[in-house]
Amino acid sequence: MKQHRFCSDCEDQTSPMDLSISGDLKREWSACETRRRFLGRSGKVLGWAALASLFGEAIPRGIAFAADGKVFSAPGRNSLGLPHFAPKAKRAIYLFMSGAPPQMDLLDYKPNLAAEYDKDMPDSVRGNQQLTGMTAGQARFPIAPTHWPFGQHGQTGTWVSNLLPYTARMVDDLTIIKSTNTDAINHEPAIMLINTGNMNAGKPCLGAWLAYGLGSMNDNLPTFIVLQTKTNPKENNQPVSSRLWSSGFLSSEFSGVGLRSAGDPVLYLDDPAGVDRNVRRKMLDAVEEINRQTLADVGDPETNSRIAQYEMAFRMQSSVPELTDLSKEPQSTWDLYGPDAKEPGTFAYNCLLARRMAERGVRFTQIYKRGWDVHDNVVGMLPVLCQETDRGCYALVTDLKRRGLLDDTLVIWAGEFGRTVYSQGGLSQDNYGRDHHPRCFTTWMTGAGVRPGITYGETDEYSYNVVKDPVHVRDFNATILHCLGINHDKFTYRFQGLDQKLTSPVPASVVQGLLA
Amino acid sequence: MIAGAAGTLRDLQQRMRRIPIAWVGAITAGIVVVFLPSRFFLLDGRSHGDWLQFLGRFHPLVVHLPIGLILLLPLLELAGARRPALREAAGFVLQIALATCVISIFFGFLLAYGSGEMGGTVTRHMRGGVVLTLELLLCNIVRFSWGAGTLPRAYPTLLVGTLLTLAWTAHQGGSIAHGSDYLTRYMPAPMKRVLAPSAVVAHPESFFARHIYPVLDTKCVACHGTSKEQGGLRLDSYEALMAGGKDGAVIAPRNPDRSILLQKVTLPPKDPHFMPAEGRPPLTPDEIARIHAWVLAGASAETVSVPGIFIEEDREQALPPVDDYSALIGDIRQMQQSQGAKLVAVSATPSDGLILRTVDVAGSFDDAQLAKFERFAPFIVEAELGRTAITDASLETLSQFKHLRALHLEGTAVTGRTLGKLSSLSQLTYLNLSGTRVTSEAVASFKNVSKLRHLYLFDTPAELASPAAENSLSSAQ
Repeated sequence: MKQHRFCSDCEDQTSPMDLSISGDLKREWSACETRRRFLGRSGKVLGWAALASLFGEAIPRGIAFAADGKVFSAPGRNSLGLPHFAPKAKRAIYLFMSGAPPQMDLLDYKPNLAAEYDKDMPDSVRGNQQLTGMTAGQARFPIAPTHWPFGQHGQTGTWVSNLLPYTARMVDDLTIIKSTNTDAINHEPAIMLINTGNMNAGKPCLGAWLAYGLGSMNDNLPTFIVLQTKTNPKENNQPVSSRLWSSGFLSSEFSGVGLRSAGDPVLYLDDPAGVDRNVRRKMLDAVEEINRQTLADVGDPETNSRIAQYEMAFRMQSSVPELTDLSKEPQSTWDLYGPDAKEPGTFAYNCLLARRMAERGVRFTQIYKRGWDVHDNVVGMLPVLCQETDRGCYALVTDLKRRGLLDDTLVIWAGEFGRTVYSQGGLSQDNYGRDHHPRCFTTWMTGAGVRPGITYGETDEYSYNVVKDPVHVRDFNATILHCLGINHDKFTYRFQGLDQKLTSPVPASVVQGLLA
Repeated sequence: MIAGAAGTLRDLQQRMRRIPIAWVGAITAGIVVVFLPSRFFLLDGRSHGDWLQFLGRFHPLVVHLPIGLILLLPLLELAGARRPALREAAGFVLQIALATCVISIFFGFLLAYGSGEMGGTVTRHMRGGVVLTLELLLCNIVRFSWGAGTLPRAYPTLLVGTLLTLAWTAHQGGSIAHGSDYLTRYMPAPMKRVLAPSAVVAHPESFFARHIYPVLDTKCVACHGTSKEQGGLRLDSYEALMAGGKDGAVIAPRNPDRSILLQKVTLPPKDPHFMPAEGRPPLTPDEIARIHAWVLAGASAETVSVPGIFIEEDREQALPPVDDYSALIGDIRQMQQSQGAKLVAVSATPSDGLILRTVDVAGSFDDAQLAKFERFAPFIVEAELGRTAITDASLETLSQFKHLRALHLEGTAVTGRTLGKLSSLSQLTYLNLSGTRVTSEAVASFKNVSKLRHLYLFDTPAELASPAAENSLSSAQ
């Protein structure tokens, strides 16, 4: 008979407890061993899976109560005790502008640059920074002022590019951060860094941490949903992969559930012809039974996740069609979101879905919009990108606000980095390009927990270096967690002998100046 | 007795003759300085020369050397009773203390003269420093006699006096550097009531008392208050603020642009006239906005609210904690299993309360179900009843949920006929009635809920009647 690697019956082998390994690993081992004994020798009765299902549904996620009155943790969770303090935001919606929007063409107004057209950027501004391979070989770095006029808007008099007429209407509600900065200069490491706190894949993303820490607010929809905007083939679309909404070393039930941007939002959600709901239920019960046996045999907690995911999928068979059925939306919705919102997969449609998910208790929604990687044709592509996203952003914030949802929802708008003030490739009066730029980029937040109507941080006259109040992406994430009632330093998960957290390993801090 | 005193005097005279003439001169000069009126100190409230200030700023650094040495002195003398070598060292320490004290006074004067600081505390600190030096000088003299056994009491007495002077002078110096309330600001309340009765501000409910005075108190009064009066300006009361300084008024009511105070705090931080000076923390944009709006509104001492300024009260202060529900946890869990609606903890702190969450069973959650949660009402701070099947009848039940801060009734069948019942919810700050059939008359019937700050009437008849209902309500706060 094949022996499992966790089996403790092989007495002739050296016990891990005798090895010179760290105490954490030994404890981890002994925890496994206990479970093996419990599961293996109790005649395959209930086991953890059964226990989990007995407690599982009734326990409110986050903080669960045991009958004896003590705070009780479901299997697979540590005693998190979250939220650490009363949160201002219950949920968050993250509008992710993948590819990196050019900050000086949208929100970081630099009127002085018009006079600097085609002049060389002073070497002192760039310092000894290593550029990407795309512009490192350029003979010169001519300054490309923005092509579009800016105007002042709102009571705050915030400068906004004419490319964003809708965003301009809501500047008094926004918390604009001009000093966001990151470590990475290329898309994949940068997008991993802002989403997971680490440039390398394998760490849980913000949404997974929230799902793990705060749990679900409803039983019928996933805690963390990812919406991808369908791509415009004319745009320079950088790939976006499921690594970005991965749960990393956390249980995979905390990873983001992607809804498709075209066709059925979830594939194979409808029952096949000839299979009714009861048959489906019976089949799932049988699969669950098999899974529980596997769990008892192997003791892999991922089996538990699988059981939970099958159950979630079954419930989503009715909850997702209800979620995506927009036929009952009043005319005022379409007036606000515009005609694009009627077409599934557009950014405006996804924004509308995000509002509906907020109403239905989805904890974290992340909308990806690709195509912002405007290397060589800013003048050609930027108006298209703004036209695709501007109204959706405004409509979402306004809709949340008028429905009273912005009081407990945090909305975040960010890319993975910024773009250079100097032109990539040729600079002409009609067009220019912009390369990647990690040292500063503009993001905004609004809603629960952040202070509306402020601009935080400043960049130098070239929008190249941060000169005041820098906000590193780790600080950015720490601030988001704070708005949701989480102390980022205390929110850890022990893995590979380390207390891992979203904002590790370099110390991060909550940006107090952003908070309401 | 008399002979003894005469003998002592003779002895002292003999000793005095041995004292160098320079010492006698120093003592005389010191006494003169102590009794000079403060205007002779050449302090005119203006700043002088960068060099003077640069050197003067070493005063806080240098001054700790004599402090340490003087504190060391009694220890050495006491320990010297057993180990004579230490007593020998004490004499040396005393001389060094004297020397460093003189150096500190020199730097201190440069600091005061250079920075143009003046006011009661500065002169007190200065006199204290001179007295302290004099005492050290005398200590040096009488210590010889003490060592010889002729004046056994004089030196210990003088040393105790020196320590007391040191404490008093150091406190004056600390008050200049950190503000006079530095020690008492975070004193626990009971201790504070006994030791430091707080300043009484007239009209405690006024905008000035609640939002302007605290800014001045934390950011300005260290230099413009009782301890220092830079530029002849004091900002520690409404009257003093309006009286202005030696350059005239600093507040021009209804005219923020011509108010010197606002001009100074909004200069570029590198400007030499920028306030607060000397790298003290600047005013935040929020604080400046408050002062600006207050001046624009007339800079009155009594006005309670100022148009255009909405200040969110501290959440923790505004909301009283709920009772601990730990004892009921078993029941809470049972409730979840039988009803499907959940009671969720707001945070890990039980006094933050519970949220009633119905989203999973919204369609079937009706008035009867809500009534079953009434026994948990003291712990529920938020009721998420959006899109449930409850009706107007539930408002009666909800009126018993005294700790409710947020109430979601959006998309329910509530018509608002009985909305007045919610007036008893004194903690309610958020009420969402979007998508209901609530009319503006119904809304008017309960608008006197004092803390209500966010009322949502989107997609209701009431909204159609007054589209700006939410806006007008929030701006009125």
